[in-house]
Amino acid sequence: MDFSFSKEHQMLRRMAREFAEREVLPIAKAIDEEHRVPMDVVKKAAELGLLGVPFPQKYGGMGAGEIGYCIVAEELGKVSSSFATIIGAHIGIGAMAIYLGGNEEQKKKYLTPLARGEKIAAFALTEAGAGSDAAAIKTRAVRDGNYFILNGTKQFITNGDIADIITVMAVTDPSLGPRGGITAFIVEREYPGVRIGKLEDKMGIRGSSTAEIILEDVRVPKENILGPFGAGFIVFMQSLDMGRLTLGAACLGGAQTALRMAMEWAAMREQFGEPIAHKQSIQWMIAELATEIEALRSLVYRTAWLVDTRQPFTRYAAMCKMYGSEVASKAVNIALQIYGAMGYSRDFVVELMYRDAKIAEIYEGTNEIQRIVIAENLFRDFGVRIRP
Amino acid sequence: MRVIVPIKQIRDPRGVKADPRRQQVTLEEAELVINPTDRNALEEALVLKDKLGAKVTVISIGGPEVEDSIREAWACGADEGILLSDELLAKADFRGAALALAKAIQKLGDFDLIIAGAMAADTCQGQLGPRLAAALDIPCVNDVYRILEVSGGKARVIRGWDEKFLEVEVELPAVLCIAPGANVPRLPHGARIMNSYQWEMPVWKASDLGLSEEDLRPGVEERGLSFPPERVRGRVSRGSPEDLARELVSFLRERHLI
Ligand SMILES: Cc1cc2nc3c(=O)[nH]c(=O)nc-3n(C[C@H](O)[C@H](O)[C@H](O)COP(=O)(O)OP(=O)(O)OC[C@H]3O[C@@H](n4cnc5c(N)ncnc54)[C@H](O)[C@@H]3O)c2cc1C
Repeated sequence: MDFSFSKEHQMLRRMAREFAEREVLPIAKAIDEEHRVPMDVVKKAAELGLLGVPFPQKYGGMGAGEIGYCIVAEELGKVSSSFATIIGAHIGIGAMAIYLGGNEEQKKKYLTPLARGEKIAAFALTEAGAGSDAAAIKTRAVRDGNYFILNGTKQFITNGDIADIITVMAVTDPSLGPRGGITAFIVEREYPGVRIGKLEDKMGIRGSSTAEIILEDVRVPKENILGPFGAGFIVFMQSLDMGRLTLGAACLGGAQTALRMAMEWAAMREQFGEPIAHKQSIQWMIAELATEIEALRSLVYRTAWLVDTRQPFTRYAAMCKMYGSEVASKAVNIALQIYGAMGYSRDFVVELMYRDAKIAEIYEGTNEIQRIVIAENLFRDFGVRIRP
Repeated sequence: MRVIVPIKQIRDPRGVKADPRRQQVTLEEAELVINPTDRNALEEALVLKDKLGAKVTVISIGGPEVEDSIREAWACGADEGILLSDELLAKADFRGAALALAKAIQKLGDFDLIIAGAMAADTCQGQLGPRLAAALDIPCVNDVYRILEVSGGKARVIRGWDEKFLEVEVELPAVLCIAPGANVPRLPHGARIMNSYQWEMPVWKASDLGLSEEDLRPGVEERGLSFPPERVRGRVSRGSPEDLARELVSFLRERHLI
């Protein structure tokens, strides 16, 4: 057994950390306040290959695998959940769907510019009536010769307004349901009929945009079907598996920053004539949190290793997402509590981290849904089938 | 055009722990990184590569772990790297290191510029660049903030000079010692990072450089490390600006500082 990272991955971590500290950290507070996507910094990330971390070099990627991608997500998560979300939606689900489901042609045409960061991806599944119940989507794709005509409205789509290439899930045969009746499509932003609707005014991750995407008689060539016809649900679920793992990695980063800040404050802040770190109730919070962070680290990188060595990992990815988001939320809660009033003040970043953390319990499948996925996976070993 | 960048691997100063009470410095937990100012030097070399197509060669001395730093420099854009490594070289002091580097550079053949960091963040001696120039018998410009132009066998640079800047012209080949913070060094590209262990790195021993134990015998003996004495607390004075000025002047006079 060997828990060490490869030399390449160690170097990648140094690079990602320096990038995060140099380029992202200084703007983390401003992009929240200004509700602005930092496209200039996204471009700088692209120049270093950070928009294609897990993809093979022959498609313009970095070739660093899932372990490499988790390292980058962790380092970005340490400084900004918004920025980690932009990159996560781009690589982890948007471009990932093309990598996992796309044919050679599609990978050359679409994955390559995405991996190089020349184009930005979004992943459009959610609709007004289809959140946790993803199979309930209403967006329709109707065949018209060599084209499909898409109609429907997607909402809460990360990168929706900045994306050039959108992977969209649509119903191709309403009689068949999720197994066989839903197909994934690659939709270019430039196709006539693609419109960006409402931008969400969110509680947190305000440096990443979340948009409504309206599809009105959008003609999509049949070459843009992603994966087998009627198997869109599987393509999207596989992408979400990957996204969940790296979301766990980003949470690992965020939790570590919260822990570090909580400890710095506890060591510095004096009450009753001594640092509050001398109080046992503070020590216990810190000790428990540090333990959970270490457990999360092991879970995340072991799961990434399962992916890179091509072993089944679905249940572990769901665990990474569920446990990671809960550790991160606990971490920011503890940090804010230890900071006291200063944590509640906008003068510090603790309140920003607190607002940012909550989303990870909701998106990419709520934590309730993750529990269902985990239980479904576990019970399958006992011959019991659970339906969500 | 060939540019040579000698780099040093050091313990990241940010990770070094000092315990003055026990007169102890713990280095081992700090990460091994390229000396920050050497990254500034590498950046200057890579700019010359971008602008003039210079070939950039990185050289370092040390144990096998130094290979990682050379590969990181390659990932940043250097064209090749050479490690000087064996037991004799490991013991070398500044003079020995400069001598070994000079021999290695001569072994490489023609070159136009050696761009070095002005100082290593661990020893803060600033000896290597000037010693290297002396060993090769070529000019050296220290404290360089900017390379303005390299052409016609000359380089024009801006260097620090007291509190001012000075524009200097130097004949090539020459050693330029780059000032800390002269630029923002680029980060390595991710794909190059992933490929950075896929080429064979030449490792030269002292004997490959024609150097004997005698040549490399350290001229400096290290007897131990100690902390600087605790600083005496400063004196805080209050009063009108006139009184304060008077007090300051007499204080400085007492100490024969003015
Ligand atoms: C900032 C942000 C970014 C997003 N980005 C994207 C994106 O890029 N692409 C995309 O497609 N979507 C995106 N989403 C949508 C997100 O994935 C959904 O919001 C999420 O899946 C939950 O759906 P919902 O909000 O409709 O909640 P609902 O499904 O309505 O759930 C409400 C509550 O009921 C619970 N619940 C639902 N079903 C069950 C059940 N079977 N058992 C137990 N409890 C249940 C849920 O856990 C939750 O607590 C984003 C959302 C946000 C807020």
